[in-house]
Amino acid sequence: MGEFLGMFQGLASGFDIAFTLTNLTFALIGAVLGTMVGILPGLGPSATISLLLPLSFKIGSPVTSIIMMAGIFYGAMYGGSTTSILVNIPGEAASVVTCIDGYQMALKGRAGPALGIAAIGSFIAGTIGVLGLTFVAPPLAEFALKFGPPEYFSLTLFGLLMATLLGGGSILKGLIMVVLGLLLGSVGLDPISGAIRFTWGLHMLQEGIDFVTLAMGMFGVGEIFYNLEKVLKTELVTRKVTHLWPTLKDWADSKWAVIRGSFIGFFIGILPGGGAVISSLVSYAVEKRVSKSPEEFGKGAIQGVAGPESANNAAASASFIPLLTLGIPGNAAIAMIFAALLIQGVQPGPFLITEKPEIFWGVVASMYIGNVMLLILNLPMVGLWVQLLRVPYSILAPIVVLFCCVGVYSIRNTVFDIYVMGIFGVIGYILRKVDLEPGPMILAFVLGPILERAIRQALLISAGSPLIFFTRPISGALMGVLILFIVLQVFFNIRQKKKKMNP
Amino acid sequence: MIFSARIRLFKRRKSIEKWDRVTGYILLAVGVITAWSSTSLAMGKMRHPGPGFLPFGLALILIALSIALITKSWKREEQSVPFWPERGWVRPLLGVGIFLLYAVLLPPLGFILTTFFFLIIWMWGIERIRWATILPISIGVTAVLYFIFSYFLEVPLPAGFLSL
Repeated sequence: MGEFLGMFQGLASGFDIAFTLTNLTFALIGAVLGTMVGILPGLGPSATISLLLPLSFKIGSPVTSIIMMAGIFYGAMYGGSTTSILVNIPGEAASVVTCIDGYQMALKGRAGPALGIAAIGSFIAGTIGVLGLTFVAPPLAEFALKFGPPEYFSLTLFGLLMATLLGGGSILKGLIMVVLGLLLGSVGLDPISGAIRFTWGLHMLQEGIDFVTLAMGMFGVGEIFYNLEKVLKTELVTRKVTHLWPTLKDWADSKWAVIRGSFIGFFIGILPGGGAVISSLVSYAVEKRVSKSPEEFGKGAIQGVAGPESANNAAASASFIPLLTLGIPGNAAIAMIFAALLIQGVQPGPFLITEKPEIFWGVVASMYIGNVMLLILNLPMVGLWVQLLRVPYSILAPIVVLFCCVGVYSIRNTVFDIYVMGIFGVIGYILRKVDLEPGPMILAFVLGPILERAIRQALLISAGSPLIFFTRPISGALMGVLILFIVLQVFFNIRQKKKKMNP
Repeated sequence: MIFSARIRLFKRRKSIEKWDRVTGYILLAVGVITAWSSTSLAMGKMRHPGPGFLPFGLALILIALSIALITKSWKREEQSVPFWPERGWVRPLLGVGIFLLYAVLLPPLGFILTTFFFLIIWMWGIERIRWATILPISIGVTAVLYFIFSYFLEVPLPAGFLSL
């Protein structure tokens, strides 16, 4: 009971922080930017947050900059559906499945209800997600205080492997990116002995590869180079969007999809390695299976919009749980926020809630407010955003590149960093060309030092026996679930292959 | 459910299978070089792992994964997909070139001029947008960026010869 009271007090103090003019302004900036990058194809939330990393120091206190970055992340989940529905191109990755039925609805002249249910579902799911964050995070953080090095090793390994299992691409390639990310993260001083690794005689590499330069290069510049290859055309189905408010029938059809989507999203988002993209795919699959008329899917079923759009919002909010309670980011966008916290000198982890309650509760409270802002931005004002789709990528691209250049320059005031970022940009471009997604790499880069410290300390404790990861209860349980997941995935792949051979 | 969803997304993508083999060989080389150069670091023992312990282990995993990628690509039918669609390399190369030019010219010309010309060259050179659109956008964006970074964020931007 007392614990419960503590949460309400915490939340109340959080609202005090979130309702200051500065924080409200930055929550709004985050929501607007998030909606914007969500709508614009070719620019995702990860890239946008990476663009703002060099500025996070200058924006203000840690809580203010994290409020804004969080707003970008969950705001993009709102905006993404608009492009999926009206143009049949996902505005960002988590809205891929919304294209299927959302676009069909738009073709049938039902763009309004599709946009409406996406926004309302997003709001409900986002709020459920934040409620979950409010009540799950504090006890989880307390539980995590018991974690030692073996638990942290299992947890990071779990997160990294889950990110590749749930990543949507080839598992083999995902694993390759994880290993590459971990290796990149080991450049520079060894965190334990202080030995210098892989600097190839270059002094500048002694401090390691700078995360901000790497992230901006891989995500910002690399993505622009990649998109230059094709000419993105955004042709709208309709310019006039009416009847946004869903009818009673639409609402009756989609309310359970919204609720199911919210819970699916929440539970996938909370997993280390889980994220918004996979949760929307799972929600779509579930909706199709439980529907009484599955043949409607693909022809404009409103559940096919309501479910996934709710799921990705709930997942976006829930993915703050592993970040703020365990200090383990679950996906690339959250890894950027993790880096922003580190830049500000804040170590996310189980101590965050007790030692820096203003950051935790301030950000959580701002998410309640942000969801209301986003509902207003995306429901009555959606027509305005549709105009944004007319801004061609050809104008946006050079601006993004400029922003990267000036941003990376501003960190240390040296042009040299622009060259380094350019090199990462070209690498990021080539990696995308050969179908290697940089997301897991960025995640692994951030988790690398945590993983290394954990495994080496754990082996010190156990006098060299790797059994310690399986015999300690929490670590053992994590390993068990992980192995179960891998076995199930292998089993599923084999079954899938057999089906292909004799259909 | 999670597992089937993953596969469905995977199939949606156009695979560039031919390039998997090349990628595999490059990654194999990276793995071998990393493994070789981490042997010069102290490996330590299992009971007391040193700085070379994890990198060496990771390099071995990378070697194994890249061999898996190579064998997988040999098993498949060879598909000759060009790395770039016809003349697809022109625009990205122009982008990289203009980017490089920006970094080179930033110190001598200063932020305002370089940024202005960068926007013009990019939008005209790559995208062939009408001049009536390019000019106001270039001026506007340069001004807004200068305002944000120089005044609001107080970044000392290079002034170039204009400061003389």
